[in-house]
Amino acid sequence: MTISPVKIWRNQKKVRAFLGKTGRIITWTKVHVPPCSFTSQAPYVIIVVEIDKNLRFTAQLVDWEETNLKTGQTVKAILRKTRDPGLEGVIPYGIKFKPI
Amino acid sequence: MQITVLAGLNSKFGELWDISPRDLVKEVFHGTLKNSNMNKNDIDVVFVGNMLAGTLGGQNHLGAFFAEELGLERPAIRVEGACCSGGLAVHSAVLGISSGIYQTALVIGVEKMTDHKPEKVAEALMGAGSDLERDAGASFPALYALIARAHMEKYGTSEEEMAAVAVKNHYHASLNSHAQFRNPISIEKVLKSPMIASPLKLLDCSPISDGASALILSSKSKALSLKKDDPGVNIVSSVVATDTLGLSERKDLTTLNAVVTASCKAYKMANIDPGDIDVAEVHDCFTIAEIIAMEDLGFFPRGQAGKAILEGKTRLGGRPVVNTSGGLKAAGHPVGATGVKQIVEIYQQLMGVSGKKQVKNAKIGLTHNVGGSGATAVIHILKRG
Amino acid sequence: MQAGILGYGIYIPKYRINISDIALAWNKNSQDLASSLRIKEKSVASADEDTVTLAYEASSLALKHAGMKPSLIESCLIGSESHPYAVNPTSTIVAEFLDVGRNYVAVDLEFACKAATTGLILTLGLIESGRIKNGLVVGADVAQAKPHDILEYTAASASAAYILGSDEKEVIAKILATSSFTSDTPDFWRRDGVKFPTHGGRFTGEPSYFTHVEGAARMLFQKTKLSPDDFDYCVFHMPNGKFPREVAKRLGFTDKQQQHSLVVDHIGNPYSASSLIGLAATLDTARPGERIFMVSYGSGAGSDGFVIQVEKAILKKRDRQTFFKDYLKNTKYITYTDYLKSGGKI
Repeated sequence: MTISPVKIWRNQKKVRAFLGKTGRIITWTKVHVPPCSFTSQAPYVIIVVEIDKNLRFTAQLVDWEETNLKTGQTVKAILRKTRDPGLEGVIPYGIKFKPI
Repeated sequence: MQITVLAGLNSKFGELWDISPRDLVKEVFHGTLKNSNMNKNDIDVVFVGNMLAGTLGGQNHLGAFFAEELGLERPAIRVEGACCSGGLAVHSAVLGISSGIYQTALVIGVEKMTDHKPEKVAEALMGAGSDLERDAGASFPALYALIARAHMEKYGTSEEEMAAVAVKNHYHASLNSHAQFRNPISIEKVLKSPMIASPLKLLDCSPISDGASALILSSKSKALSLKKDDPGVNIVSSVVATDTLGLSERKDLTTLNAVVTASCKAYKMANIDPGDIDVAEVHDCFTIAEIIAMEDLGFFPRGQAGKAILEGKTRLGGRPVVNTSGGLKAAGHPVGATGVKQIVEIYQQLMGVSGKKQVKNAKIGLTHNVGGSGATAVIHILKRG
Repeated sequence: MQAGILGYGIYIPKYRINISDIALAWNKNSQDLASSLRIKEKSVASADEDTVTLAYEASSLALKHAGMKPSLIESCLIGSESHPYAVNPTSTIVAEFLDVGRNYVAVDLEFACKAATTGLILTLGLIESGRIKNGLVVGADVAQAKPHDILEYTAASASAAYILGSDEKEVIAKILATSSFTSDTPDFWRRDGVKFPTHGGRFTGEPSYFTHVEGAARMLFQKTKLSPDDFDYCVFHMPNGKFPREVAKRLGFTDKQQQHSLVVDHIGNPYSASSLIGLAATLDTARPGERIFMVSYGSGAGSDGFVIQVEKAILKKRDRQTFFKDYLKNTKYITYTDYLKSGGKI
């Protein structure tokens, strides 16, 4: 599914607001069998992060070691490529987290 | 509420390579019509529950599509709510009849999923999640895996307890001639099956299936005019509730708030307690979903459902008996059909025609149909008249 | 007015691959490679990293180090050989994520491994002419090399960002003089639309690297009337472990002067970021009053030379930094197959 460049453009400000935020993992999973636009990435880890009492975020965890895959691990929001745009599409960048 | 189920039929669920959606629907329609003792022309409106025909097949206009296919020149409406499209189609029919505008309604649930590769279907199903979840590659198994881990860490629910759900449902399905998987399995087999999204393994997950179900509902007065001597089965509650689309917006990941809200209202409308339910069909898209359903529906206290299922409390012979059809896991989960199939199963249980999987003296039943990871919930309560 | 560095930041990906593991895949003798290239391991970017994400990381750290609000940045020049688009600037994507605002001039640069150091010279011009007050320059690359090619052993991924300005109180290092030695020398190139670069083998040595680096260095000595003894440190572009050591010797620098800058020993050659990370590693421990001599190299070909003097302000900003040595911790070695997967080669 091609992503609209307008949608990517509108999304940028939302992404920017999250960069650098830190939080802790409240639940996680390692995906071994992914849906089709994510097959090249498997296995990958998805986490739900609690940034503060009123704010949570669902995203991938990157640069992890097995010891980081636990509830309570502190993580930081960073910029990475998200979906595969194919050969011609605009490249979407978004939030992923890494352990700190 | 005065809505009567006149008849209902499920097709076989499974990998039905040879059978098109048109043929699936025609089969269940004709069978249902026959059992209802009605004429085709008595149907006032058609509701079609389906999720993926547009994304996978490019055809969205299903109301008109099937009305034509079935030779019904009647109002026809497609209803969608991810995996509870079927339940919402039933709810829509209830609304239509309750309004007085229609007397009888045909409800169809249909889904054709095996025409495409599983990865493509998984991708299409992600449309039920939030934007963040879709960007992260959170497939359905991943979303319920996140929920499962939260439940395991909060209550100590174990992978064995989750596996017990699949084992029970496969056992029930072995008694259901229309189920996709009729083979009994063991807890060990579930635990050894390949990891899909930790901690959910292949046998914790419902399959990709084809199938259709049909129901004919009518107002009580219409039902009485057709079958004067049989009080039949009535829908006494039909409740829908919504929660946040994505998991990151939920307050507590170990419960589906929409289910709690809808079921509380449903019990009230029916003037009953959870303890009055004899038999239930719940949305076990993943084994953890059934455990959480038991708790959300008030059948077992929070954190105790896993143990109860492991001990066989919801198996044939126990109470409430859950998923005599085999649930989504073993009977199959043709997404749009499931919500309708659940009503058919409870209807048959309350009418006493469920054969080998009959729950003795079943008088009150419940169906629990969920869209997405809990964003929409549809609860129906049925009573023997 | 003399412009200088207000802050800098670098980013090196977490993953590494041992050169010996690449050699193993191709049945090459890793001892031979180690001695001819003098390289042990290189940094590898993940499949979801690219020049934009690398540049963003380094730039955020540079802004933090400089203690500067992003809206004060008035120019953004990003040099790379691996811009994600042939048409659509990396510099604006990065600037947008940094929240630079709308009041800035931006353009992407290409000159093989020296695009970013040229960016420094251009930005100095903008500042010293009074056209802008503060500018951002980034060198970032996710270096690609054809499997089985000799470049595969050195091509690495990393980024370095420098914020330049003229505020005397905030400048941590002044850029006193620059030189550029440029010619048309096709030693290493990549045609448009082609995925991997090609090189001229031994032609990349004397007529290319050495001629231009030495050329720029001698030009700079002449211009400034300075000699190697006048410097505490030297930094040269590092395509492998051998060339920078050889050119330092030829120019009269000692091992002691060069030792801090030899980042190639740890991360390989991240193309446009190479000499700038060497400079960063040197600045990480440099003291006020010390002088640094730096010459970059870009195939095609050219070299930019710099005389840099460390200022007092460097001390007060040290506690806001992430140092080069911090990137040597928590690294993880990957297999050759994982390396090919992350580079999209399989």
